Amino acid sequence: MVNPVYIIAVLLSVSFLLGLFRKPGSDFARLAALITLAFPAIVSVSWLLQFLGEPTSPFIIYTAGSVPPFSINLKMGIEEAFLTSAVNILGFFGFLYLYRTFKESGVSAVVLFLVLVMGLNVVIMTRDIFNLFVFLEITSIALIGLIFLKKDINAVSAGFKYLIAVSVISTILLLGIGFIYYFAGTLNIDDFVSKNSGAVKGMSTAVFLVIIAVLLELKPFPANGWGLDVYQSAHPGISAMISAGMATASLFVLYKILPFGAVYWMQIIAAVGVITFVGSNMLGIAQKNANRLLGYSSIGQIGLMVGIIGFSPMLGKHLWMVFFGLFISHFLAKAGLFWLSGMIGKENIKSWSVLRKQPLLLIAFGVFAFALIGFPPFPSFFGKWQLVMDLAAHGQFGWIVAILLGSMLEGVYLFRWLGYAIKLDVEADQKLDLGIEKLIPVGVFALMLFGASHFAIENVPGGLTLNLIPVYFILLLFVLDFLPAKIKNSIAILGMAYYAWLLYPSLQDDTLRLVFAGIFLVGGVLTLFAGYSVKGKRAGFYPFAIMMYAGLIGLVEAKNLLQFFFAWELMTLGSYVLIIRGKKSLVHAYNYMLFSLGGAYLIFLGMALSVAGQHGLSLSLLNTTHFPGWAYTLLAIGFLTKTAALGLHIWLPGAHAEAESDVSPMVSGILLKGGAFGLIVLFLAMGAEKAGGHPLLYALGWLGAITAVGGNLMAVFQEDAKRLLAYSSVGNLGYILFAFAFMTNVGWLTGLTYSINHFLFKTLLFLAIGGVVMRVKTHNMYEMGGLIKRMPWSFIAVLIGIITLAGIPPLSGYAGKWLFYNAVITKGWYFQGAMVFFSGTIAFLYCFKLIYSIFLGQEKDKFRKVKEVPVWYILPQFILIIGIMVFSARPDLVLKPIGALLSQAGYFPTDPLTWENVTASTNLGYWSGYKIMLVIGVMFVTLLTWLLVMSRKAQKVKQFNIVYSGERPFTPETTHFSHNMFAPYYKALGFLTIPVVTSFWEGVNSTAHAFADSFRKIYSGNGQTYIAHILAYIIIVYLIIF
Amino acid sequence: MKYFNIEYISMATGLFLFLVGLWGIISQKNIIKIIISFSVLDTSIHLILVSIGYIRNKTAPIIDGVVSKTDAATKIVDPLPQALVLTAIVIGVGVTALMLTYALRMYSENKTLEINKYKSLKW
Amino acid sequence: MIRNSILILLIAGMAWILFQEFSAYHGADKLNSISEYYAKNAPTETGAANLVTAIVVTYRGFDTLGEVTILFLTAAIIGFMISTGKKTDRKPEQSNSELLETASNVLLPILILVGVYIFINGHLTPGGGFLGGAVLASAIILWLMSATGPKISHALLEVTEAFSGFGFVILGVLGIVLAGGFLDNKILHLGTFGTLLSAGAIPVIYSLIGLKVGAELSKIIIVLNQTQGEEK
Repeated sequence: MVNPVYIIAVLLSVSFLLGLFRKPGSDFARLAALITLAFPAIVSVSWLLQFLGEPTSPFIIYTAGSVPPFSINLKMGIEEAFLTSAVNILGFFGFLYLYRTFKESGVSAVVLFLVLVMGLNVVIMTRDIFNLFVFLEITSIALIGLIFLKKDINAVSAGFKYLIAVSVISTILLLGIGFIYYFAGTLNIDDFVSKNSGAVKGMSTAVFLVIIAVLLELKPFPANGWGLDVYQSAHPGISAMISAGMATASLFVLYKILPFGAVYWMQIIAAVGVITFVGSNMLGIAQKNANRLLGYSSIGQIGLMVGIIGFSPMLGKHLWMVFFGLFISHFLAKAGLFWLSGMIGKENIKSWSVLRKQPLLLIAFGVFAFALIGFPPFPSFFGKWQLVMDLAAHGQFGWIVAILLGSMLEGVYLFRWLGYAIKLDVEADQKLDLGIEKLIPVGVFALMLFGASHFAIENVPGGLTLNLIPVYFILLLFVLDFLPAKIKNSIAILGMAYYAWLLYPSLQDDTLRLVFAGIFLVGGVLTLFAGYSVKGKRAGFYPFAIMMYAGLIGLVEAKNLLQFFFAWELMTLGSYVLIIRGKKSLVHAYNYMLFSLGGAYLIFLGMALSVAGQHGLSLSLLNTTHFPGWAYTLLAIGFLTKTAALGLHIWLPGAHAEAESDVSPMVSGILLKGGAFGLIVLFLAMGAEKAGGHPLLYALGWLGAITAVGGNLMAVFQEDAKRLLAYSSVGNLGYILFAFAFMTNVGWLTGLTYSINHFLFKTLLFLAIGGVVMRVKTHNMYEMGGLIKRMPWSFIAVLIGIITLAGIPPLSGYAGKWLFYNAVITKGWYFQGAMVFFSGTIAFLYCFKLIYSIFLGQEKDKFRKVKEVPVWYILPQFILIIGIMVFSARPDLVLKPIGALLSQAGYFPTDPLTWENVTASTNLGYWSGYKIMLVIGVMFVTLLTWLLVMSRKAQKVKQFNIVYSGERPFTPETTHFSHNMFAPYYKALGFLTIPVVTSFWEGVNSTAHAFADSFRKIYSGNGQTYIAHILAYIIIVYLIIF
Repeated sequence: MKYFNIEYISMATGLFLFLVGLWGIISQKNIIKIIISFSVLDTSIHLILVSIGYIRNKTAPIIDGVVSKTDAATKIVDPLPQALVLTAIVIGVGVTALMLTYALRMYSENKTLEINKYKSLKW
Repeated sequence: MIRNSILILLIAGMAWILFQEFSAYHGADKLNSISEYYAKNAPTETGAANLVTAIVVTYRGFDTLGEVTILFLTAAIIGFMISTGKKTDRKPEQSNSELLETASNVLLPILILVGVYIFINGHLTPGGGFLGGAVLASAIILWLMSATGPKISHALLEVTEAFSGFGFVILGVLGIVLAGGFLDNKILHLGTFGTLLSAGAIPVIYSLIGLKVGAELSKIIIVLNQTQGEEK
């Protein structure tokens, strides 16, 4: 194995020699430098592979023919090997990225870069604190020189501010080192630790000076204005080196000198780190300059890693896994993002929409953003997971809340940015620098993220239980994205069908999960059928659609908390991308993501509270939590963000209404059930029937009832067909929540029946209306009318749909209603029940409006020639209709097995629904779906035949052959009663639909932004003030400690 | 009074100069004055380091007529801080030169040497 | 007013911290264990009479390598930053006084000799490479200011700088190959203690450092000099 000192020797000698090439042959210099930079990377990686292969003791590099503490020594252990590999690989690709820039700037810049990489290597490997000081100076000075690559005044003044700040910090460091030498008599880290002279008075102050200087290097909040200016004004390739490279070395320095400090330092470091994470991300949300925003984000993430170092006593042997997960995500993603910024060249975050010119780069942006936030499958997800779980085991819930808050803030600005990139228009003159020397580093780092993810999954406790087959399928679809849509559609459908077939045996006995698995997988296949009508490639649709379904099915399969949360986040990611594809979905997808993220963090917190140090991660831990009130409430609210309970619902109407025609059925009919399933898991964990009287359930019952009324009422006053259906979903999910909150046997049967029904009719309705909207190209119902003549099949579908929704016999909605009556009366929640009945009545109103405004009434001129919806939409609709018919006629096929399951001991053994063949009965009455279907079916057929016969003699009249009050109409608009149809109801009940909730959330949003905006004014731009900040920080921390 | 011995005086002077340098950095508006304050700061550190190395009543760590190879350990001051100071001086020179160059560039762009006129990048 | 009082508070806070150190300081009466080791063993191990040199060049030679790199960086950066201007040599705005010219003719060779003497004897007398290099640089500055004699070749300085730096690293690597470790001075024979040609590679290293420092400091001054007279 190559002695690592050769890294230093090679880099330095090449740097010195390159000084000879100042004028001629600058090309030779650059090429030589690039090749030289490959050498350290190879050496480091070979050491890393050696350490990973077999446990070897670290290699000590001696100098001067003598031994420490008399001479300086370096160490190459596994940590050093990993970190130097990271820095050297970054050095190689960073140089490649800057290749053309170095052509203009000359050989000096190349030399600075080489020395920078060398300096970083030594900082990581050295074991002597004065040596550390010297080489930290080297890296800082090299960076300061490289800042000058961009020769404008902003770069120069930023460089100056950085220079004076770093000089002050290093002077403090040197002062501390001097006094440490005085009190301890050594400068070698290992020697110092073994001498253990911490008790000498004055030593603690010296150690304080050293540690605070190292912390200040890491730019803690708020003493970091000098760093932000550099991130903003330097060439992005250099900012990448600072954010990824310098941070790596500085973090390891902190880790190295930790043993110098007494135990209380851990808390201080943790506090410094977490405050930086939250503060920096908070100020970032008001930022519009891309590079500065990346600066805030870098400082924040580095703060989080400082916090992790501070938490090391609590993390124990998980420290390296947690650190690795978060570090590698930050390292690769930040470098990638800065590199992308350099390719775009404009400052405003809104300019990033130019990435759409090269979709692979847009995907890279997405990969980096999701990796930073902590979505699966990226390593940061697992790092955060383990961090929170370990902190919970020590009861450090305050820190967990702070960390999740910081992550949420990060999500606020990252998703806004990502949305801009995906949706905003591209200005004509925007250029994208697609030089190959820039594309390679970005691509390599994005791919390395996936490699790192694999490594993280293998090393996190519980990670190996994850079912990664769906993830591989998603990756396959990514690779195959160039194929035409129809082929991909078939692949997706076949894949899901096959998976369903694989999954069935394991779920046969758990009927509850089987129902939901059926909804997710069968529903998925059906909605995907509609995709056959799309021409072209439909790039970027299929991987994310499958991702959403993979997440959903993962929820059902999950047996432990990690699997559950992994699936939850996967589902959120997939659905976010699907939703944002709608034409006007920028804001709605953003709202959806923010609520989902908040909900996910609440769920995470709830899970952490439940586990709280208990062994393992099984789902059953939810039963035995030490903090039931908190855990269950948090989990409930988290799940409710997904089911859009009132108060958390404002994202739904926009997201569902503006989504593409075949996406709306997916998200409204199927995705919402994910949240419902979560609630089921939660309620079962709360003890099922035994938890019956729990106050949380009582509150949730009320919430469900209010949501039902609110959602349905708001649907009544909508003119937009899809929004009407979306609000209707809000209401329907309210029913479902209400029914499950009963915690009785019949109550749960009601809830499950409603769930199945909602899936069937909502998917049906959205498919139908989605198809109509596709043909008619407008959402507004008053613009449509009389379409029954042109779209008879859609009419039938919608008719069946609304009959089921409204709960009219003989269709299965009535089954739900019947069960519901029974449940309410036995439970005794009369008032809430009445509210829900009321909402059911209101549902009639909008059902009628829907079918009347669109299909009945008067045909409009514009649409006299529209075609029926594509056959690929009709096909799944009729399959769903068949499903409804079967469920209505023979509900016992589904309800009997579920009932049997629910009557078992762990669930709801009291008062079950009893079956006699096809007739169900409780002690309040009986019902037979089969008989009702028969009776009404016969009636219907009879009446229909009679009508058809009678109508032969009917006289057909033209459309305007209507006269009343002496007026003959000319235009269809004046005779089509649709717009503002329910005006009187609005006068009566409209006060209930005032957007109070929307105002509330908007208020939260604007307060946060106003706070961020005013607080960031502390970065006044004056370098001297920043130094004052540094001194103030030192003094305040000192006073806190002593 | 023991505080009148050379090591206490030089240490106190060093610490005092440190504060003077810091004061200059945070209070002076002219960039050149700030750079001079940095010089003062550096010098103070050197003084402190040398004081740390001082051993009472001993002499320079060079083997010559006064100090022989065998009794060196009882006759010399600590050579290590002197080595550190050598390095620190050179680093200080480099950084000062760098700061001056930056000041030069800033002046040639903006024609002013007031630190608070360079606030183009903020919040 | 408020600003000044805040500044005073900050300085007071730092003063408080520094006072803690001062009160814990009590001088020293004997060497600590590391310095004692140096005192007892450095002369025999390294062959140098000047113990500070032994530490700077050999025991902590790695730090010196870093230090040399810093100067190198600084020179490179200054060249990088200033090179965007015109490269005109300064024309003397007034003719130099005869006093300066005559004095520099006499002093120049003496200065150069003194500088070289200092760094060559670094292992025996105080001073060493950095001091010698600084004296050399002042000689060059005198040369520049008096404008006597041939123009200083930029290329010569560059070449000196590059090769002396490279040489330093090579000597260090030779230490690994031929002796105990990186920058071990025993690659050359230790010779008789106290003579010029002793202490192994130390004089060679210090000479290289002296040349490098001299070249770099001169280069910095020359580059800064070229900016004078630029009116913008």
